[in-house]
Amino acid sequence: MKYTVTILRFNPEQDEKPHQERYSIEAQEGWTVLDALNEIKWYRDGSLSYRRSCRHGICGSCAMTIDGVNRLACETQLATLKSEFVVEPLRHLRVIKDLIVDMEPIYTKLLEIKPYFIEKGPPPSDHERLQSPEENKKLDGLYECIICGSCTSSCPSFWADGEYLGPHAFLKVNRFVADSRDEGKAERLKLVDNRHGLWRCHTIFNCVEACPKSLNPTKAISALKRALVGGQF
Amino acid sequence: MVIRHYRWHTGTWAWILHRLSGMALISYLVLHTWVIHHIQRGPEEFDALMEFVTSPLFKFGELGLFGVILYHTLNGIRIVLVDLGWTVELKAQKITFWALVAIGIIALGLGAYGFFH
Repeated sequence: MKYTVTILRFNPEQDEKPHQERYSIEAQEGWTVLDALNEIKWYRDGSLSYRRSCRHGICGSCAMTIDGVNRLACETQLATLKSEFVVEPLRHLRVIKDLIVDMEPIYTKLLEIKPYFIEKGPPPSDHERLQSPEENKKLDGLYECIICGSCTSSCPSFWADGEYLGPHAFLKVNRFVADSRDEGKAERLKLVDNRHGLWRCHTIFNCVEACPKSLNPTKAISALKRALVGGQF
Repeated sequence: MVIRHYRWHTGTWAWILHRLSGMALISYLVLHTWVIHHIQRGPEEFDALMEFVTSPLFKFGELGLFGVILYHTLNGIRIVLVDLGWTVELKAQKITFWALVAIGIIALGLGAYGFFH
């Protein structure tokens, strides 16, 4: 099957601004967008740059905008796309080269909300910090994030405000707020209760549409909003 | 620079329309205040203006205003339901959106009947 791939290319050492380049490829059955990019890089144009590693949707390296939606190149089957499609780098993150963006803002925001377990007292000496299967179940859908950046770079609130914490950070906040063992709830909620925090979410659901792991950051945001408002009464 | 616009999902439409209808309502409030302030200018001037704003053109405008209020109210309810966590799943918020659109269209039809009969 023939495909025409249009890619937004940018090399800061040569180009003043990004330009599009088109490649026609002959794809085999079962190919993903990552296979198509590999075909182009290995046999047609070695200067094409993109991140990839595990090629089975767990490392989160190959998130990019494919036909106007953020997804993982390695998990997007060509068969689900039209014979002409567009590949662009993630939006509102600085492009380092071609499809590679600077993920630093994504990681910085994650570190801002203290993505680690907080407990005031010393750990038990004879066993791990335990929780019941029911308590553990509450964390389903909150811990599976692969930090690919698909959600935050699809969010209009993030496009408008670069300092907005972003859906990936809120999902992580709720992962700890919902954890029966964590004692940092109050300080975590304080971190997201500001003008670049929770209240800038306009429930547009772009993050949920984009998440390659089918997680629901809007649900986490909604739970955090209720935790914050509930704490006032 | 981008080649293709980011895809507009149901949630994107709901949000854009909510913002636009909100701005329309604020503009209407200004206009409304301007009309009402004619009361203090005496009965003649107020009656003259009232005659102007009860013309058929304004009748259609009023129906439009009713539509804008309906959208903003109903989608406001949808957002409250999302924030309560009742319809925060991807599919649920879409179903809610289209259900409320259907309710809105019926209410707008009833409103049109009321306005023109």
